[in-house]
Amino acid sequence: MVLYMHEMKMNLKSLIIWTLCVGGLCFGCILLYTSLEDSIQEIADVYSNMGSMSVALGMDKMSMATLTGFYATEIAMMHGLGGAMFAAVLGIGMLSKEEAGHTTEFLNVLPVGRSRIFRQKYIAVVSNIFIFNLFCFLLYILGFLLMKEEISGKEMVLYHFAQIMMQVEIAMVCFMISAFTKKNLMGAGLGIVILMFAADMMCRIISAIEDIKYITPFYYSNAADIFTEGSIDKVMLGIGMGIIFITFVMAGIRYGKKDFAV
Amino acid sequence: MKTQSKEILREIGYMPSEAMFYPSMKVRDVIRFAADMRKTDCSEEAEMLCERLMIDQSKKIEELSLGNRKKVSIVCAMQHKPRLFIFDEPTSGLDPLMQAEFFKLVLEYNRQGTTCFLSSHVLSEVKKYCHHAAIIREGELICTDTVENLTRTNAKRIHMIKDGVEENFVYKGNLNELFSGFAGHDIEDIVIEEPELDEIFIHYYQTE
Repeated sequence: MVLYMHEMKMNLKSLIIWTLCVGGLCFGCILLYTSLEDSIQEIADVYSNMGSMSVALGMDKMSMATLTGFYATEIAMMHGLGGAMFAAVLGIGMLSKEEAGHTTEFLNVLPVGRSRIFRQKYIAVVSNIFIFNLFCFLLYILGFLLMKEEISGKEMVLYHFAQIMMQVEIAMVCFMISAFTKKNLMGAGLGIVILMFAADMMCRIISAIEDIKYITPFYYSNAADIFTEGSIDKVMLGIGMGIIFITFVMAGIRYGKKDFAV
Repeated sequence: MKTQSKEILREIGYMPSEAMFYPSMKVRDVIRFAADMRKTDCSEEAEMLCERLMIDQSKKIEELSLGNRKKVSIVCAMQHKPRLFIFDEPTSGLDPLMQAEFFKLVLEYNRQGTTCFLSSHVLSEVKKYCHHAAIIREGELICTDTVENLTRTNAKRIHMIKDGVEENFVYKGNLNELFSGFAGHDIEDIVIEEPELDEIFIHYYQTE
């Protein structure tokens, strides 16, 4: 686990910054809710009457007039997008950074083997995502407690579980890309996030492309759906887990056979 | 080799021609990381090597010059006392003092049983420190022999002033024929000596 601890140390600064930024932003917005309470009902009415946009943002299902509704629509969007970006940045560089930084020779002449390097980096990615979500979750719970609001415990846990799965799925797609490339393609990783986010919104608005929901992990991790239905779509989640497995296998096969650029 | 790669790598200390490490790490942490990945406590040996090579372990990798990074690479390759060193251009970037210290260390490990393969274009080092040498051209092994045998050839380096003109060349042939060729010429000065290893190297490159 030496390499795993090394990766955790190397990514610690990034983890702290992303957790503080995303978690802190969402935590701040929870606390900001009190200042919006007087006007929030009017804002909620406007948002819920915006037709397709209301559907895209989940505001047809939940009202922003309650903190839970505000959380499931506004805050969840920020957490979802921020978390997905963190996962993408983490995954896209994890393997390729060794070639990009010319440290491949140093790492691969150590008696550990490629499969162990691959596994420990993979576990480091998943660990970082888990820690990020844990601290954000605790911050949000704290926010609810400070606001003296009731917490929908089951829905919160389900939503954050779905978020972890979504972020792991995105990280693994990017991790697989990292196995194929010699450079850190951060732009591509962030592009994948934006594409998946946009695909989620569009498939909710345009019925003709509704089937895109099976591809984008933002769909099954949507807070408004989870808070309303009290469950995660098992089929979508299963597809997501399948993608995680397939990308893991493909990345492993590629990494094992790769001719490294030193 | 593929199935036993980990076992083989355990016994090898490798130093690439360009030593690159993680920029944000300190020297001390890089050396310890290499030792920990080998599951070996190399702290004593690492400390000795760092002292002899005059490495500041508190510095970050990104603050180091090429030569100092090379020294860190030497420590990482030697600290676990492997059975085989593989060094690629080991002294490039090192000052003469550190070059001498490096070879002193290599010879010490060699006396303890470590074999050292090194590739170098500094043929004076090869001649001075190596027991065997091989000349490779375009990926093909041209010749391999002891350094003594490679330098002891019937080729001679001739420096002379003949008919007022200075001439320098390597002669590989019958000396009697050479001397009989001097007849009728005014030889003011002549020096005949063994060629340097780099001249033999060039000779092999030009004749194949």
